[in-house]
Amino acid sequence: MGGLDGEHDVAALIPMVRRVVGARVTDPDVADDLVQETLVRVLGATQRVEPGMLEPYAIVTARNVVASMWKAQDRHRRNQHRVVDLRPAAAPDENLLAGEEHVAIAEALGRLSERERRTLLAHEVTGQDTRTLADELGSSAGAVAAQLNRSRARLRVEYLLALEQREPETDRCRPVLLALSSGERRRQQEVDAGRHLLECQLCARLSQPLLQRGHPRDDQVRIPIHSDADIVRARQGARELAARLAFSKTDLTVIATAVSEMARNIVRFAAPGEIVAELLEAPRLGVQVVARDTGPGILDVEQALTDGYSTYHGLGMGLPGARRLMDEFAVASEVGRGTTVTMTKWQPEGRR
Amino acid sequence: MNTPALVSILRQGHYLIASIHTALDDSQMIRFQQDLIEQIGHHRSRGVIIDVAALDVLDSFGSLSLRNIAEMARLRGALTVIVGVQPDVAFAMVELGMGTGSVHTALDLEEGLVYLESRVANAVTDMTLGISG
Repeated sequence: MGGLDGEHDVAALIPMVRRVVGARVTDPDVADDLVQETLVRVLGATQRVEPGMLEPYAIVTARNVVASMWKAQDRHRRNQHRVVDLRPAAAPDENLLAGEEHVAIAEALGRLSERERRTLLAHEVTGQDTRTLADELGSSAGAVAAQLNRSRARLRVEYLLALEQREPETDRCRPVLLALSSGERRRQQEVDAGRHLLECQLCARLSQPLLQRGHPRDDQVRIPIHSDADIVRARQGARELAARLAFSKTDLTVIATAVSEMARNIVRFAAPGEIVAELLEAPRLGVQVVARDTGPGILDVEQALTDGYSTYHGLGMGLPGARRLMDEFAVASEVGRGTTVTMTKWQPEGRR
Repeated sequence: MNTPALVSILRQGHYLIASIHTALDDSQMIRFQQDLIEQIGHHRSRGVIIDVAALDVLDSFGSLSLRNIAEMARLRGALTVIVGVQPDVAFAMVELGMGTGSVHTALDLEEGLVYLESRVANAVTDMTLGISG
């Protein structure tokens, strides 16, 4: 049995391993951990290593242990503040997940253009500031910062896709996810992100971490509409939001009633859908409510807006009634895809 | 149920006083409707007061449900009065194009009771003539 001998030999290596690690790592606690780790590995290898070669083997192992700690730290530093929360979860599959995330990040980086990737890495990893990068690229610091933001937005999207190992099902998916990732509201409206999320399950799932990122929007409430209990939630949500402006109690009730009608339409004909209420600042203060559904669509919008027209028991109040209640009212419907109703109530002039 | 009651139906002599305490969703409204109609038979009530003062919104479904309740109650031999419609709710209902139709309304519980007292004696005659309010 060479076990005892091996242990004795390894013990003799301790001062040397300490020197090797100590020369690279200043924190004594961390150094101690690394020395221990090195010794464990050397001990495990004593059977395989030629007797005279134990010392060089220990030196190489010590260096490797230090280097892999640096790599891990660097990876953590690079990733922690952007895409998702990479703080390790205390679960048995932790290592596996971390490995998958690592692969996903690498793949996502690979999908950026060469120029995008170089600039992003120079900024995030090497720590070059935007001014230096701008000089190199013959551009301005502001433009570089904007480009970096776009690159990060793309990286987040590509990372999520790589992690799911899925390719988007439609050519609308990427633009929508990008708009959500960059947080640009105008762009989100242009690509009709809200409707796409109702229609595309993959994007609905992938958008969760993107939407949770950054500052939560406090000038918007979004209520998914599936069943009649959601009707009450939708009108209460819209009322609470509108109450932050100087609407009268009557106006608040009017808004809540209109929201209730729209939510009811969704439940009756076209669930699932959603109601999104949003405060507007321009051109005037007001509240805008968008009711989206994935239903059959309305064949004849003009007719549906006529009083008394109804497809269910004796009520024709839904659309025309809500139109009377609100200041602005627009219906966009596509048969087979769904309906989007956008309605606005302006805060009366002169109120503060 | 652990949650506070959404509605309460109290018996007061020949009358039932039903108070809605909070916004009801559609299924809750339908259950309330069924409970109330059942209790009318159980207590042999001649009049029903529905207090909607706590409702934030009466949309098309809410208004229609109240009208239906009143009609079912009438068929079961009881007269219905709706009390406590808030001014904002009244405004929104009219703009929406809804109302309570022929169902009688009163400002508050007290007025509602006064109305029932004055009508229930004649209710049988009224009902045979098809006039409920």
